Amino acid sequence: MSGALWPYFLLIVFGFLPSEIWRWLSVILSHGIDEGSQIFTFLKTVATVLLVGVVARLIFAPTGELAHVPLAARIGALALAGGVFAITRRNVLAAVLTGEAAIIAAGFWFLR
Amino acid sequence: MSQIVELTPADRRRWFMEGVRQAFTGPAYFVAVALIGVGGLARAAGFPAGVAVLSTLLIWAGPAQLLFFGAAAAKTSWLAVAVSVSLSSIRFLPMCLSVLPMLRTPGTRRSTLWLAAHFVAVTVWVESLRRLPDIDRPARMPFFFGFALACILTTSLFTGVGYFLVAALPPALAVGVLFLSPVYFLATLIRGARAPVDWFALTAGLVLAPVTEAFVGGGLDLMALGLVGGTAAYLAGRWHEARRAEP
Repeated sequence: MSGALWPYFLLIVFGFLPSEIWRWLSVILSHGIDEGSQIFTFLKTVATVLLVGVVARLIFAPTGELAHVPLAARIGALALAGGVFAITRRNVLAAVLTGEAAIIAAGFWFLR
Repeated sequence: MSQIVELTPADRRRWFMEGVRQAFTGPAYFVAVALIGVGGLARAAGFPAGVAVLSTLLIWAGPAQLLFFGAAAAKTSWLAVAVSVSLSSIRFLPMCLSVLPMLRTPGTRRSTLWLAAHFVAVTVWVESLRRLPDIDRPARMPFFFGFALACILTTSLFTGVGYFLVAALPPALAVGVLFLSPVYFLATLIRGARAPVDWFALTAGLVLAPVTEAFVGGGLDLMALGLVGGTAAYLAGRWHEARRAEP
């Protein structure tokens, strides 16, 4: 294989295939599952908990630049976003923009 | 369930465009900005820009892409990269399994489901669970493809932009990029929570995440969290329902 195509080969064999296999498996397994069935609710709950776990890790044990912002500032920005979210009756955009403004301000403060 | 009516091609196009439109009310931008960092990481690992963009089109999973380029940069063995990428993507199994039954009609072809499954990622999953129940079943598939395509193509573009730009980003803005996904996902999950079991799931995830992270190793902690926390939340939901049903 020529050198220029090698990175694409690596991506497909060691990135795409190991990840995609779960989506393929789901198509095979999804046949007997109905929306509204108990197994559907169970799988949705497992997926939700998994996602919350990923989110919790991104906030409490982050990587990269975010790790240099103190935990209290990360939680503070999240709390501000939550407050705006509650006041605006669950407006995601308003909450995200508030949290972003807070964390970027904290970033300028702590990463000077 | 009510009778399934086939859509005309014009209706299908209309619902496809409605999906595109709703994606551009926010979600397409959120996921695109959240994955800007992937481009920079790919460049740091010495990959060409084409591989960075293709990684979004093919893998379409932020954590798996970060793992792939991050591990490649750290010169991890390729087998270890494949294993960790695969572990991080196990979540697609329950995610796809809880979206595909919403999209399927008796006439849906298997090949359409394969394609739909490829587009399921966190953002598309969260938004689908929230938006699809309000849409008539035959209209869901075109809506889903419009929504998902808008998300994945916008994100691919941003991955390419990130490849050339991210190194120039000031640290404070990089912080903002990294903080975007957690805030966005938490907000959408809470907004989408309807039944008590959804609230149990959110609580279980937040409470148990530090526990499994501390006590379960080998990259399996998230899977353990999903299974243990998910089962607990599911049982709590059933218990709550049964109690409410009593006179």
